[in-house]
Amino acid sequence: VQPPDRPLQAEEWNRLREGFHSPEIFEEVMLNNMVKYNSSIDVAKSLLTHVAKSNGDIGYNLLLKYLALCVQQGKTSEICDVHDILKIRFKILESGAYNLLIRGLSNSDQWRTALTLLEDVKKVTVPSRTNYESCIKAASRHQEMTLACELYHEMLAMDLVPTLDVLQTLFDYSRGTKDPELQKELFGILLYLRENQIYPHKAFMRSIKLWFESIPGENWRGHLTNITDSGECPVCNHQLEDSELTEEEYNNLRERIIRDVIHGTDTFRKTSPQEFEAFQTFVENRLPFDIVIDGLNVSHIMPRKMQCENLFEAVNCLAKNNARLLVLGRKHMLSNSSNWKREVMKEMQHKADFFFAENISEDDAFLLYATLRSGKHCKFVTRDFLRDHKACLSDSLTRHLFRKWQRGHQIAFSPSAGGKHINFSPALCYDCVVQTTGDTWHIPYKDVFEEKCSYRVPRKWLCLHQK
Amino acid sequence: MQPAAMLLKQVIRHSVFPFSVQRGMKKDLFPLRRTLILSPCLKEDSSRSPSEKVDLDAWKEVMKSGSQEGSETASEREELPTLAAAREILEMWRLAGRPVPEKVSDEQLKTFMECPSKSAKKKYMKYLHLKELYKKNDKRKTDERRERRLEMQERASNAEEPKRNPFMCLWASSMDRIYSWRVAQAMVFGQPLVFDMSYEKDMSVREVANTVRQIVLSEGCNRRSVDPFHIHFCNLKEDSLYHKEFVKHYREAWGKLLVTVTEQCYTDIFPKDKLIYLTADSPKVMKTFDHDKVYIVGSMVDKSIKTGVSLAQAKRLGLETAALPLEKYLLWSSGAKNLTLDQMMHILLTLKDTGDWKKALEFVPKRKYCGFVNKPVHELKKSLNLINVLKLGKRQEELQKRFAKNYSKKLTQK
Repeated sequence: VQPPDRPLQAEEWNRLREGFHSPEIFEEVMLNNMVKYNSSIDVAKSLLTHVAKSNGDIGYNLLLKYLALCVQQGKTSEICDVHDILKIRFKILESGAYNLLIRGLSNSDQWRTALTLLEDVKKVTVPSRTNYESCIKAASRHQEMTLACELYHEMLAMDLVPTLDVLQTLFDYSRGTKDPELQKELFGILLYLRENQIYPHKAFMRSIKLWFESIPGENWRGHLTNITDSGECPVCNHQLEDSELTEEEYNNLRERIIRDVIHGTDTFRKTSPQEFEAFQTFVENRLPFDIVIDGLNVSHIMPRKMQCENLFEAVNCLAKNNARLLVLGRKHMLSNSSNWKREVMKEMQHKADFFFAENISEDDAFLLYATLRSGKHCKFVTRDFLRDHKACLSDSLTRHLFRKWQRGHQIAFSPSAGGKHINFSPALCYDCVVQTTGDTWHIPYKDVFEEKCSYRVPRKWLCLHQK
Repeated sequence: MQPAAMLLKQVIRHSVFPFSVQRGMKKDLFPLRRTLILSPCLKEDSSRSPSEKVDLDAWKEVMKSGSQEGSETASEREELPTLAAAREILEMWRLAGRPVPEKVSDEQLKTFMECPSKSAKKKYMKYLHLKELYKKNDKRKTDERRERRLEMQERASNAEEPKRNPFMCLWASSMDRIYSWRVAQAMVFGQPLVFDMSYEKDMSVREVANTVRQIVLSEGCNRRSVDPFHIHFCNLKEDSLYHKEFVKHYREAWGKLLVTVTEQCYTDIFPKDKLIYLTADSPKVMKTFDHDKVYIVGSMVDKSIKTGVSLAQAKRLGLETAALPLEKYLLWSSGAKNLTLDQMMHILLTLKDTGDWKKALEFVPKRKYCGFVNKPVHELKKSLNLINVLKLGKRQEELQKRFAKNYSKKLTQK
């Protein structure tokens, strides 16, 4: 039903109500539709008046919906009135009302009330990150940057992940600041982006740039650029960090891969203890490899060709510089079939080492182990994004390590334009994270619409340096 | 919600209303409006639309005036223990229209508070709410049925004439005896079927409860079948969660159940080469039902889809595995390939009796497949893919041509 466009008399509401198919939820449906069609609040008020007069009371859910309408239209005085009524009638409120009140009040000159409401929420439950977002934005808008930063830290302490909007707001309203504390705070946010491998979007990047350039007396200049494949910034000729892990991180990652990915809760789920042991001795005897290849993954690159031909071509391509290759496959590749010709397989085994896992084992786990065991120089080839294996790692820190290592060591491939050859795109030799040397900052960013996938890293950078 | 008397009380209490109430006429609400017009907000409204006669803020006054009672009751209980606080929050949830059951026991409230996240809390409450709804519906239905029965009896007694029947009316118990006889026969001569009870550690409490429920259903349908299996519950530890749930379901009948319950593993009871572990993850597909083998079904409900758990178990013990040939006979549409335990039981029983895959796979839920395969699967898949691609509009023209060609071919074939 479409809500009426003017306030109605009680009789008129009664008539509408009787015409409605289920009168007991009439008011609820009507108010919902008012929110949907953004009706004038006078109409809603006349309905509430009708309800109040015929029932002597208005239900919490109706008040909530009316509140939603007021918040939607930014009617501050109404929001305050509803707040008063709610406070009188109910001892505590639930999160829906708090969310609406905080959102409504933080956008008005009553924004300090929103802060006290946030305190109330904390007594009952953990506030949501949008609650914090509203409050932080309100505080920043009124130039209370210390308060905004306090709220931000509180939020982090509660394990809430701040929205990029919050971070951007902090940059937006700190322009031209000389306050060293606040500057430290904002640098802290940049390091937060670095640690969590978050890439700002275009608008956020612009806010960062403007803030840097607005710092009085420091002469920062920002440029948008693309980093060359060798990892050099074309603007300031600075060489970006490489993606190598430290010795400790590397060992840590390797152990965690063995523990969480290969063994997990039950070694038999991905392989078997005997097989894994056999694989370990196989690898130890032939170390170190330069490139480890996921044979089955590579063999599917061009569906028109025989699978063993695809693999053969890839091996030939990668073996050029006397690299030591390890190809992982499954036993079924050895049985002479239409896709796997015995002669071709024999030929390949002269050029690379092969390990064939059981047909029901997971070869990806072996791929990770062999690469990590061979050392830091070793790369691996697969088109797989390895997300399922990353998900097996139990804590986010190790996952970040894994992603970093993956960025630096995975060689992806694709069929060339004509479909005749395989193109290998080498792993990035620089690390794609926010980074600084003190007098320069390099910040990768993504165009909001373009790069949404978590596995793809952005190619565009913001270069900031002091003149 | 509140009776009219209540309204009157509130209206009387309010300073603005008595005038009109004393007169007792609805039409005379005008003086009320005149008094309220003092508030600036209303003045604005009325100036905007002079023709209108509605008090837009009257509801606020009513709400505020009715407040005394609310605050009185609230002030009665002052220091609230945590349970009561949680109860109050739930009350507010209910008022806001969220799914919350009407009655929550203290134990449930504790579980509610121990939920690790907000969404877990919401989910738990929704679950309790639904449970309550089902229970209420069931109760309503049984009540209705009872009433109807009483009515019938009355009518029958009015009719007076008792009917003569050559059989005594003892259907249920005599059927029970026949079933028990058959199952007892099966315990001596029947083909064993093993339920592997070693997955307790992989499941949540609710999943274990669901598992046991499914096994109870399977046992029931096995008992009623013409040629039952000899059911073994292997690896069932005394006072495990499984065991507790079983006792909860069967009560004293648990001791009299005609199944073999053992803490032993099936590998200790049967020769290894006779065992076949049924698991959806198996690379091998079952072709025929072998009356000489012992099939094992993992007693596990995995809502979180833990792939390869039962396959790992079979690998560890070095057993042969098999999966149902779902792909071969059904054009699968959606849903996981793992079936519930009672569906497995139905399928296995039908296979044992008839060996007819089509009949057996009727027990796969209809929502999971589009239909039975009457042509080679790859051909059907091709046309299905084609339809999907057409829907998505990729390479449309080319595909349409191909589709048309195939279609005309099909027509000529017929």
